[in-house]
Amino acid sequence: MRLSALHFRPYTFAFVALVCVLGTTSANVSAQQQPVQPASPLQTGPEKTPRPEAPVPTPSSGQPSSQSPALSSSYNPMIVLDPAHGGTDTGARGETGAIEKDLVLDYARMARAELQSEGFHVVMTRDDDSNPSYADRAAIANSYRNAIFISLHISTTGTFATVHTYYYQFGSAPVAPSDAANAKNTGPAEHSASLVPWEDAQFTQVGASERLAGALQAQFAQRFSGSSASPTPAAVRELRSVDAPAVAIEVASVSVKDPNSLAGLAGPIAVAIARGVQSFRTAAAAGAH
Amino acid sequence: MPNDWKIVLGILTVAVLIGLASLGRLHQRMKTLSENPHADEQARREVMAAPVATPTDVTVQAKMYWQSGQDQLAPVAIKLPLSADPVERSKQVLDGLITQPTPQQHTLPSDTTVLGFYVLPDGTAIADFSDALATETPSGIASEQTAVDSIVDTLKADVPSLQRLKILIHGQEVDTLAGHVDLTGFFDLNSAPAQPSIVPTQSGSISSTGSAAPVQKTVAPTALPHGS
Repeated sequence: MRLSALHFRPYTFAFVALVCVLGTTSANVSAQQQPVQPASPLQTGPEKTPRPEAPVPTPSSGQPSSQSPALSSSYNPMIVLDPAHGGTDTGARGETGAIEKDLVLDYARMARAELQSEGFHVVMTRDDDSNPSYADRAAIANSYRNAIFISLHISTTGTFATVHTYYYQFGSAPVAPSDAANAKNTGPAEHSASLVPWEDAQFTQVGASERLAGALQAQFAQRFSGSSASPTPAAVRELRSVDAPAVAIEVASVSVKDPNSLAGLAGPIAVAIARGVQSFRTAAAAGAH
Repeated sequence: MPNDWKIVLGILTVAVLIGLASLGRLHQRMKTLSENPHADEQARREVMAAPVATPTDVTVQAKMYWQSGQDQLAPVAIKLPLSADPVERSKQVLDGLITQPTPQQHTLPSDTTVLGFYVLPDGTAIADFSDALATETPSGIASEQTAVDSIVDTLKADVPSLQRLKILIHGQEVDTLAGHVDLTGFFDLNSAPAQPSIVPTQSGSISSTGSAAPVQKTVAPTALPHGS
């Protein structure tokens, strides 16, 4: 089986993590010293900082953890900016010509510049008119030990220039692979209970994602009148497989009469994202202490 | 001029006059259709989704979660004849959710039809909607989540025996509703079955609506059982 094909299989992420753990144990080498190339992100920043792949944490209690296991006192996350849609998937389209996929790419580029000016390392899931799959987008974030995933969207409805931040919320604990195997009476479980399925990777990160969303939404509420003060849980597909703090930001809306007014929001949105991420990083580092 | 030609010309003249006379009615018909864009949808709905009626139907006050303000839901009580059978009852509830609201209350595209509804022995419900639900719901996180919430909250309120819900589009599992909200998992309905809180009434008409406070909570899908 080719390694590239493994990349898209449901349990590949858990498998790769298991291999990393076994390899690290046998070689007695710290994971911090093992550079891992990202899954082909479009990386830019003050310097290229390949990071070791993070071991997949275990939902031991069946509830999302309140503290990201990846946080440390030297918390310096890789910011993964995700302009939604792309290619033939235009996203929302306004009657006056506003197209979501193009506008969010502009927003992401502006946010990248702002974040880099603050010293963050940034990658983008796309920097052209391509349309990576949900798995590809998540894989970029999951290839870093410490990452923050921010997906950018524009809505069809809503009051112009209001911005809302969403984080993923699971209805209940995902079914563990071993439980599922036992439930089907297929003999001994083929997977360790410590492995997390790819499609449920966000489960252990919900607490951190909510805090990140809160930090960002506080910035948007200050800068964009009419935006709510707190973030909203929603089942945004792009966030589900991300094993890192992950949020989706949605700006209203493509239904605006003048499409240029939406483009004009790129600067303030970029500043709000940079301040929000900075605030989250500061709080996370303080929490680690 | 030969008599034959006179007869032909006479027939043609009568045909032209009849055509001219019908032009007025045709114009009137086109004008009516253009003023009422839902007439076509309604006609299609009548063919695709005939009203469900069962011998056990009892008119009750059903609770519909419709739009109340921008991307917010509020429960609205309406009188609906509902079956005792969970499958038929769910079809009736979803049909009411789609067809009964005012344009301001709509959460689902009015062209949407329920193609099928199934309930498994463990209480898992599978709702199969027509393509219109995916293609006509405005693309966006807030608008898609509102559509899903209205379906989930309404079924939760009116069909207490259902445990969880899977949404299909035209018989297929899809990643998202319209590009954003995750439909790959199940939505929790009533993990602990409750007794219906609806009260039988005598009338089959829609009551004056009794709105409650807008609902801001969000329903989220649970994971699919692995290996399924």
